[in-house]
This record gives sequence, structure tokens and C-alpha cells, in this order.
Amino acid sequence: MVATNGTGTTRAVRIDHLDHFFGEGENRNQVLFDINMEIAAGQLVVVTGPSGSGKTTLLTLVGALRSVQSGEVRVLERSLSGLGQRDLVAARRQIGFIFQSHNLFRSLTALENVKMALPLGGCPPAEMDHRAAEILERVGLANRMDHKPRHLSGGQCQRVAVARALVNRPKLILADEPTAALDKESSRIVVNLLKALTTDEGCSVIMVTHDNRILDLANRIVNMVDGVIQSDVILAEAFRICEFLRPLELFKHLTPTELTHIAEEMAMLHYQPGHDIIREGEAGDRFYLISDGEVDVSRSAARTVVARLGPGACFGERALITDEPRNANVTAVGDVEVYTLGKDEFRAALTASATFREQLQRIYFSRQ
Amino acid sequence: MIADDHVAAKPGFPVKRVRFSRGVPLAWRNLVDNPSRLARSIMGIAFAVLMMLVELGFQRAFLESTLQLIRGFDADIVLINRTKLFFGRKEPFPRRYLYQAAAVRGVASAAPLYGEWTKALWQNPQTHKPRPIQVMAFDPDKPVFLFPEVEAKREALRRPDTVMVDERWRPSLGTAGPGTQTELARRKVDVVGTFSLGPDFIEDGTVITSDRTFFAMFSTHELKADELPDVEFGIVKVRPGYDVSDIQSAMRQALGRDVAVLTKQQMIDRETLFQETESPVGPVFGLGTAIGFAVGLLIAYQILFNDLSEQLPQYATLKAMGYARGFLVRSVLAQSALYAVAGYAPAWLIGIALFRVLADRSMLPMVMTFKITAVSALLTLGMCLLSGLLALRRLLSADPAEVF
Repeated sequence: MVATNGTGTTRAVRIDHLDHFFGEGENRNQVLFDINMEIAAGQLVVVTGPSGSGKTTLLTLVGALRSVQSGEVRVLERSLSGLGQRDLVAARRQIGFIFQSHNLFRSLTALENVKMALPLGGCPPAEMDHRAAEILERVGLANRMDHKPRHLSGGQCQRVAVARALVNRPKLILADEPTAALDKESSRIVVNLLKALTTDEGCSVIMVTHDNRILDLANRIVNMVDGVIQSDVILAEAFRICEFLRPLELFKHLTPTELTHIAEEMAMLHYQPGHDIIREGEAGDRFYLISDGEVDVSRSAARTVVARLGPGACFGERALITDEPRNANVTAVGDVEVYTLGKDEFRAALTASATFREQLQRIYFSRQ
Repeated sequence: MIADDHVAAKPGFPVKRVRFSRGVPLAWRNLVDNPSRLARSIMGIAFAVLMMLVELGFQRAFLESTLQLIRGFDADIVLINRTKLFFGRKEPFPRRYLYQAAAVRGVASAAPLYGEWTKALWQNPQTHKPRPIQVMAFDPDKPVFLFPEVEAKREALRRPDTVMVDERWRPSLGTAGPGTQTELARRKVDVVGTFSLGPDFIEDGTVITSDRTFFAMFSTHELKADELPDVEFGIVKVRPGYDVSDIQSAMRQALGRDVAVLTKQQMIDRETLFQETESPVGPVFGLGTAIGFAVGLLIAYQILFNDLSEQLPQYATLKAMGYARGFLVRSVLAQSALYAVAGYAPAWLIGIALFRVLADRSMLPMVMTFKITAVSALLTLGMCLLSGLLALRRLLSADPAEVF
């Protein structure tokens, strides 16, 4: 579903109308186009997309490694837009970075490499050894602390790099292909650790990866193509929507993939009590699925209530299929949350599936 | 402006200064990480340091050797012809100035010292080959030297055609001591004693003789009974209780413009200035030192550049983690300074041994003085820090965004 998060939760990252360009003058080349995204605390967001799609550029902008040119990037409730070099440097200290290569100093032991990060987090010198050792234990390297990188395997080195990124307990972690060079075992340790941080400590993780082993742990998958966010799926929500959609007569014969596609396109809307979601006689432009709360369906100006619908029920599809005006009013009873799908997306989904189309024919036109 | 807390608070991120001393000694660890490589680096830097040490050592030895004889003057004030260019350039002044100097109130004595450089040929007693030599002559009644051996043999020098020779002269002049007979300026001479001085870059050795023997050898004409020839140096002693600079001013008044009235130190300074600036040999060693510095700069730059280039992603990662440029600068300069120390210490020790060998071979005063130590140490430090700064440019331009 399209991420339009509510306002209650803390946002780790908020990106508004972000454009980015490389080069100057005639060689100026736009690499990011009107990126909008909010990432809540505790989310593990996976960014995928072909190389050159701008995902790494997006990561460097969020990480304060590049200056924001146009639009706004807010990290941990503070704007990065218009910051000078020194403020950018300071902003980076709030963030944990994990790179594809571990980038450990070969002259330093695992413990010392981790300790390099500690002065940046304001750790008192007396506690440095303890803090660094603690985090190395968490990544399973308790007995490798005094080894230099040349005496560690690639996976162990990457775990040291992860420990270095986490030792200051950042609220936001940015990772670029952190498992690309890792064996299965090390990948699992690294990814599970990141996942645990999101669930246990409310850390947000943004990870660029193509690693399928990680996708199932993500809360959300953002797909970028040519500098545009092509899809942005909150997986748990999408799963929930699919659960709602599956029992409905309308979607009974859709494959799970087709259902997921519909779920990905749905946006959440919020209605106050007594608000008219649909008015009789208006042109139909959306399909609705109730996520939470109840609505009354009423007819004519008299507003005779003919039905009360609860979570899991859908409405508004008929006008989209038949192109007739709305044939009833739908009013929120209490606070109502609905997932909606625009007419075009609804129709696109309709035409994409042969079985779906047959279904619709059978349900809506055979009766006429 | 970021240093102000309330200003920094506006954009929102606290800017804390991260000190190098806290935590991990990165520069030291990077230095000693690869011992064999460190050994190669030390050898490279030490080589350049040694070059500078030898040049500085020769520069000092060159100068010191030309000053040795002046330092041996038993003088408070020295008179020379104002046009005299340097010590070994014959430019005598008329004798009457010496009498005028002696008449100045407070002067204890004003003795003549004669010198000959171009016309003096010494016959090597063993090979009988003639060699140029420096000849100094004085009146045995009026001592002018601080050398105790010369003072002891003053009586023996009264005999005609007797000389004293430097026991530390170059071997090309042959071995000579009391009893040796040979020729000086085509006159048979007896060696009656030796003193210890040493050669300089131009003169292989020095002979000291009496004024009478000197006149007999080098006068262009027969001297009349009461005629006394021109003087090369006037050696003036001041009575105890009189101020040398007062007497110097009085003497300048009395003697006029033709004669330079110098304290012994001023005489040394005048000679130093000439050798360092006007003589071609002095600047050569300065240039040699500069070449050593340049070679060292290149070597140190190569070492540091390689060190940094290999770990460019690591340093860029430090930038991404939030380390400011200042930390990187301090870290690299610390590493440069460590290289300077690591390269200097062995070079200095080798230098002491090398100076001994060179002093033996050249018979020049090659001494590892405090000044040479300090100057070379500062040059080494400067050389390494400068190469560190040059190598830093690459590090500072490394874009942390490129690490992703």
C-alpha cells in the first residue's frame, strides 16, 4: 500500500519533493525525481531497483553525505536542507553507516576499529573498551576482539563494521548491500541483528539490497526505477489488505500475486465520525475497503440506512465498473480507516487479470 | 560560527570537537602495522636525513676550518686592511697604523702578524714534491697565538730558517717533526716543533715561522736596516680594566678609514659572512642540504601517499561516520611526525659514526653539534609534515558519498 503514515508515530526520516542532479550546466543530469517518503521509527525498509536507479544517491542524501539540492530531507526530526559542511558532518554522527565493503583499518584490531566510532557519540574514554566489547559480543565476535582484519574472515570483518555502526546506538542505520559479500551464515547474523534493533530498540534501517534472503524480514519494500519511486509497499499492511480482499466475492479468483499488486496500490484514508465518504448521485472515482470502524449505507435524501458495514467489507466498486453514478450514501459512523483504490488503478487491475474480468462480467453484467 | 552552542543549536546537530588523543592511536597503529614496510620507509627517510646531516656537517666544518686560525689569535682587537676580502687573501696594511694603535690609551700591545698564501711552496720531506702551503709569521718577542706549543718554542724560532709545522695537516705535505729538514720557498729550513691546527678546504697545512725568516723568504726587495714591511693582521691586546669596545671606537678615530678595527668576534663574523654568502663553496652546501630536503620530501610524500591511498575508503568511512577534516589532518600530521622521528633517530646515530669517518679522512672538524642536530631535526620534521600536507589533499578530497 502507498505509505501515508498517520501522525502519531515518530518519523525517523521524512522526504518531501526531493530532486537531485549530478553535473553542471549542459551535463546536468537529474537522478532523483520528486521523491516523497516517510519512514517510521522501527521500520526496516529495503530499497531495491536496478543499478543507476538512484537508490544509493537517495541513501547518501539521507545520510548527510551529500548536500540536499532541492526539496527537503528530515532525519530524526531535523532538516538536512541547507546545512553547511560542518553541520552535515555533525548530522552524520546520528546515523550508523554500513557499507558493502567493511572498510576497517587493517592496522587496528576489531575492538579498536569499533572504538574509532565511540568518541563521535560522546562516550567517556573510560567506558570505551566496555562498550566496544559489548557490541562485538552481540555480533558474535567475543573471542575475536583482538584480531586484526587480516586474521578475520570477510563475514567477521563485516560484522565488526556492523558493530562499529551500531556502537553509538544510532536511531537510524543506512546500509548499502551489507550482505553482498557475505556467506549465508554471516548474512543471517547481520540481518537478524538489524531486524532485532528495529523491533527491540525502535531503530529504523534503510537498506539497499538485492538479497532475497532479506526481503522477507523487511517491513517495507521501496522499488526505484530511473530516479522515481515506482512502488512503496508496507509488507505487513499489504498482507493485511490481501487477507481482507481474499474472502470477497469480487476477488475470489485472483492469484496471490494479483492480490498483492492491488494491495500495493491501495492508500489509507481517515474519516471523522459523520463524514460522508460517498454521496448518492456523484460520479464514482474510488473503491473502498474498510480497515477499521463502521459505515452506514443509506439511500435517497431521507437517508434511510439500508446496511451497516464493518472491517473487511468493501463498497464503491459498482460505480467504477458500470460507470453509473453512486447509488447510495456511505457515512462514517465512528472514526473510520479505509483503504482506497483509484478508478484507474482499479480498472488496470481489472484488465490485467483475465479471470478477474470474467468474474466481474459474471457478477455485475450477467444480472442485467 | 558553529563553535557557538546556541548557533549550532539552530540547525539542530550538536557539533562536538573530537580530540585525537581520545581513544585509538590511529597514527601510531598505521605506522607500525607492517614492520618490513616501516623499515623500508625509515631507510628512505633516514637516507635523506643523512644527506642533510652530511651537508650541514661539511658546511660547518668548512666554515670552522677557515676560522680555526682566527680562533687561535691571542687578540682582543684585530686590525686588517679594509679591502681585505677574506682570511687567505693577501692584503697587508702599512706598519704605521700598528704604531698608532699601540698609542691608543688602554692598549697593552699591538703586534704584527704576517701571512703568505700564494707564493709559499713546501717541499714534501719524503717525496720532495713542492706543495702550496699557508705560512704565518710573527715576531718571537711579541706573541700573537694562543697555541701553547708555539708559545713553548718561541725561543727556538729566533734562529734563522726555523719553522713549526702543523701535526694535523694533510698527508700530501709529508710527515715532519723536530729535526726534519726540507725546503720552504726554496730555502732550507729546520723544523723545530709542531702544533695542532688542521687543514681547511683550501689550505692543506700551515707553517709558523719568525718574522725574519718570513722576510728573507718572501720580501720582494732587500730590506733596509730599519725598514719594517707591511702587516697582514694587527694583533691588539687591551689592558685589564679597559673596555674593548671603548678602545675599538677610539682606535677607529685614530686610524681612519683605511684599516678595519674589529673585535676578535667581529673578525670571525666577517669571515663567516664572506664564506657563507660570497664564497662559492658555502652556498654549495646550502644547496646540498636543500637537495637532501627535496629528496626527503619526495620519499616521505611517496610513503605517506601510499599509506593514505591504500586506506582511502577507510578514511572516507571516518568522514561518513562524522569525523571532521580537522581530525584527518591531525591524524595524518601525527603520522608524518612519527615518520620524522622514526627516520631521524637512526640517521642521527649513523651520522655520528659517519662524521667520525669523514673527520678522519678529510681532517676537517666534522662534529655533530647541537646546532646541526637541531637544524636537521627541524628540517626533517618540516619535510615530513610538508609531505603529509601534500598527501592530505587526496584524503580531504575523498568524497564519503563515493564509499557507498
